Amino acid sequence: MTEIQFRNPGWAGNTGEFDLTEADVRGTEYVGESPLDGGHPSVSASLPYMLVEKNPDAPLFEGPYQERFEKIRSRYPTARAALLPALNLAQELRGHISPATMDEVAELLGLSSAYVRGVATFYTMYNKRPVGRFLIQVCTNISCNLCGADEVLAAFLEHTGTELGETSSDGDFTVIEAECLAACGFPTCVQINSRYFEDVSAADVPAVLERLKSEL
Amino acid sequence: MAYPYRHEKETRVLSECFGDPSARTVAGWKRVGGYQGIARALEIGREATIDDVKASGLRGRGGAGFPTGLKWSFMPKNSGRPHYLLCNADESEPGTFKDREIMRWTPHQLLEGCLVGSYAIGASHCYIYLRGEFFETTQVMARALEEAYAEGLVGKDILGSGVDIDITLHVGAGAYICGEETGLMNSLEGRRGEPRIKPPFPAAVGAFGMPSTINNVETLCATAHIARHGGEWYRQWGTDKSPGTKLFCVSGHVNKPGNYEFPLGFPMMELIEDVCGGMRDGRALKAVIPGGSSVPIMSADDCRACTLCYEGVEAAGSMLGCASVIVMDETADIVKQVRRMAHFYAHESCGQCTPCREGTAWATRILRRIEDGRGTEDDLDTLVQISEQMTGTTICVLSDSLAMPIISSIEKFREDYLALIRRGERVGAA
Amino acid sequence: MPDNGRNADTVTLTIDGREVTVARGTSLLDAAETQGTKVPHYCYHPGLSAPAQCRICLVEVEGAPKLQPSCVTMAQDGQVVHTDSPAAKRMRQGVLEFYLVNHPLDCPICDMSGECKLQDYVFDEGREHGRGREPKRVFGRDDFGGDVLYYGDRCVMCTRCVRFMDEVARDSRLTVVERGSRAVIDTFFDSGLEGASFAGNVVDICPVGALVSKDFLHKARAWDLDHTPSVCTSCSQGCNVELHTRDNLVQRLKPRENQEVNGHWMCDYGRANYEWMNRPGRLESPMAGRGADRRAVDWKSALEHLFARLQSGGGDVMVVGAAETSNEGLVALCSVGDAAGTVSARVFRSPRAEDEEPLPGYPLLVRRRDLAPNVDGAGLLGFERTGDDDGGGGLEEVSGHDGIVLVLGDELGDQDEDFGASASLFVYLGSFDSPAARNADYVLPVTTFAEEEGSFVNAQGRVQRFWPGLRPPGLARPAWLVLGALAAALQGDRTPASAAEVFAGLAAGSEAFAGLTYEAIGESGVPLEAVHG
Repeated sequence: MTEIQFRNPGWAGNTGEFDLTEADVRGTEYVGESPLDGGHPSVSASLPYMLVEKNPDAPLFEGPYQERFEKIRSRYPTARAALLPALNLAQELRGHISPATMDEVAELLGLSSAYVRGVATFYTMYNKRPVGRFLIQVCTNISCNLCGADEVLAAFLEHTGTELGETSSDGDFTVIEAECLAACGFPTCVQINSRYFEDVSAADVPAVLERLKSEL
Repeated sequence: MAYPYRHEKETRVLSECFGDPSARTVAGWKRVGGYQGIARALEIGREATIDDVKASGLRGRGGAGFPTGLKWSFMPKNSGRPHYLLCNADESEPGTFKDREIMRWTPHQLLEGCLVGSYAIGASHCYIYLRGEFFETTQVMARALEEAYAEGLVGKDILGSGVDIDITLHVGAGAYICGEETGLMNSLEGRRGEPRIKPPFPAAVGAFGMPSTINNVETLCATAHIARHGGEWYRQWGTDKSPGTKLFCVSGHVNKPGNYEFPLGFPMMELIEDVCGGMRDGRALKAVIPGGSSVPIMSADDCRACTLCYEGVEAAGSMLGCASVIVMDETADIVKQVRRMAHFYAHESCGQCTPCREGTAWATRILRRIEDGRGTEDDLDTLVQISEQMTGTTICVLSDSLAMPIISSIEKFREDYLALIRRGERVGAA
Repeated sequence: MPDNGRNADTVTLTIDGREVTVARGTSLLDAAETQGTKVPHYCYHPGLSAPAQCRICLVEVEGAPKLQPSCVTMAQDGQVVHTDSPAAKRMRQGVLEFYLVNHPLDCPICDMSGECKLQDYVFDEGREHGRGREPKRVFGRDDFGGDVLYYGDRCVMCTRCVRFMDEVARDSRLTVVERGSRAVIDTFFDSGLEGASFAGNVVDICPVGALVSKDFLHKARAWDLDHTPSVCTSCSQGCNVELHTRDNLVQRLKPRENQEVNGHWMCDYGRANYEWMNRPGRLESPMAGRGADRRAVDWKSALEHLFARLQSGGGDVMVVGAAETSNEGLVALCSVGDAAGTVSARVFRSPRAEDEEPLPGYPLLVRRRDLAPNVDGAGLLGFERTGDDDGGGGLEEVSGHDGIVLVLGDELGDQDEDFGASASLFVYLGSFDSPAARNADYVLPVTTFAEEEGSFVNAQGRVQRFWPGLRPPGLARPAWLVLGALAAALQGDRTPASAAEVFAGLAAGSEAFAGLTYEAIGESGVPLEAVHG
């Protein structure tokens, strides 16, 4: 693990008193790798990953993804209820939900395309257009805001050289503003792809970005 | 000390295992008495379990504070139709971060609560609706659930009782309103997460048109303990009207923000000054939002004698909500923060009801104008009136939730607004 | 019956100080309407589910902690309701103000102006001065395909249109996109309403000018239109409609509620099919003489000469009617034929579609295979269908008939100039001239259904009336009058003075129509089997 400047990771750390590892805090050691086929049907909808590499042309759904889709379907009394998990799954594969994706998912579940569009646009986590390898979501809601979230957001924009919502020219970063991420005790909370980075200050931003780049 | 946000004064019931990674496994959870709650519930039966929860006086921890036992008792008996228990893990009220902490440290605590709740209301399927952003948390829950299935704790014939209870993790996709119970049901069904008109109430027509009950994560966890120890046991803490312990999520300008568990009725100033290590940089307290962003703002004076229980915070002019204490010191820019909250509610309004759809957006724009130094004193009257027009006029209470901070902030921090309006001077920087 | 004298099926409550008794399960909104109080509403529509989201129908119910949405709150015994209390009025004024925050002030160019519910409600109860200082939100205009245009800025987000497509058309092509104040109605990107058979109804149910008809766009102001109750003539369903006319032209058709026939709806095919009523080039004067001898004559001489020819006739008569012609016109045609001799053929031709198309969420309404309004009336009056499904052919015998040929309402479009060449007498009654009428001894101009009073029998066997919405051109007269006068003369009767009189004669002489009067049929029609079992 690269040495990082910011306090974190995962929760509560600005006292520096704790001796838990990052894996302990995040639960990653306990969790391990989640299987692509979704594992037990009860948890099949618990993914998606928000992947670094997206393939907008990936088929819906084949191999283990097909298995996961079938498992998800088996857990609900209606096909419609599988819509959100199916869109999640599509976004995991393709990185965003394009009109064509909405159409395909509608077909798979026997829904109208317009209906799927209505649902997809209701939820903010569905990217309606392609995003960077890292989608950086900075919480600027009240608790984080009181502790400098606006500066953190500004720092991310500055150091990625992007405008809010735009993707950097190298395709690595898209920075957006997020509503409360439920980590208010550890401001500022930043969600990057699937991960939470907490206790991020504006000064930490270059180190966070460096760490992300080192993971590419 | 592994977990830094502990305080000796705490009463740790739900948070006992926070900071202990080993409690994530079935074995680890059983070591601290886990799964004895559901075992006892199965032994004493549905009615007795509901009676226990009624006797405990447990009130819903999601914000509304409705008595949980009473809610469970609304479910029809022998309806012959599937019943559903929905666990609301769509934690997204600004200032609230307790459910995530519960789930990632003690996933089995929640699973056990879900089993107790499902059993009590006759549900054979429980959906845990997690907010989509909780990827790491959800994975902890997922591994725990898989293990619980493997151990026969969930699924067919749980604990050899002949009772079948399935649990499914369902992940949302970014919408605050899905934390509203009927919005959550619509979302679970694969619809836009728009709240439904009541009646019919969920106990009659809920998820998938079937009798359903919806409970918050913390509520269900508390029922696991109540099922194990009985209702009276829970009443050893808290006040008569607010029994039991509660996780307090403290955020903002304190030295040690975090989740702390105390019996309800704990003094607010003691929480801020003692438990949380006092105000950041020794500054003065200016304001507190005691229950997540949807409740009236309290001035420092309001806080002095305030005790943190449902009736105590109400007496101080606000609401306990989900006990998310957002603390602001003298550097806080109230106008900016209210505008930020307004922005949030406008962003999260589902858009069904006119007063909310139009009112939250309009209020945001007026607040933005005031913040930019282009406001007038009339704007404050307009804001208050808009807020009144948004109160009690919509299907759910999202617009009421914005009205409260606006009205209370104009009432209590009018000078902050006037400074901007008259002189273009900002009060505070944060 | 309970002892307290109350009926178990009804409830009695007090609305605005007046006691009202309504059926159990009636909403407060409907209950108020029974005593003449119209509670403002947008999202509620009687033909759709009620989401109670517009929040303008909130009323005060004594004992309830908050104002209640009257569209979904059911009337209960003993309830005391105030639709006009200070709290209810204050709330309505507040909601109206919210609607106006972003609604454009483009009433002068909005098609809905004059029949817009936002205009009406604001005029009644809105604030005198707006408080909005922020710039308005702008969505612009969107072509939804088909005949439908969407002006997002005017939309009040009542979602009636979305619910119509979901629940009634069962063709979910509309949806709410985005949420909160960014929400708009939209289709699935470029694929819109084109090809949807009932989408025009969304324009009707839009309470404001958000959804407008391309066909009607900027054609007429609502207050300049006259409304005439009528029946759609595009198929044998006979949807109840209104003709909206100005300058003696039909400007549009709108469905007229009839729960036995079409509910609140009509199909797009019928809605679009009105231009023919405005078609120029009409027959405006009676004419006599075959081919080159044809000359305009006045009605008196035309009918006198025709009377003389028919009276002396006694030949073999072949009659061609039309399923677009009223019962009154057809029965008069029968009378003339019968008086003129022995009728050996009484036929009509009518186009038939390949299949029918029901409205899935309102299955009573079907766009029928028969694409004419009075196929069943013609059948009851003894006319036999002939020809093909395009409404052509089948007239070979009539064409070469050497006796009397009477044609009413069939333009003979597929027939050649030899039609009726060998007829001893060929009378052509129509609204338009036809090459095949070249050999007609008399060409008599008759009115279209839009210019006359009359009745049709629809595919359900329901008699339905229509009224004149247009003035007839020139000397064109209703067929019932022309033929009725002729038949009366031939039979020594009094000339009928009205369509009602002709219908009364029909009712007296026909088993199918026995016992019916115009008055009994009224504006909503009567099923024949209800009269005859």
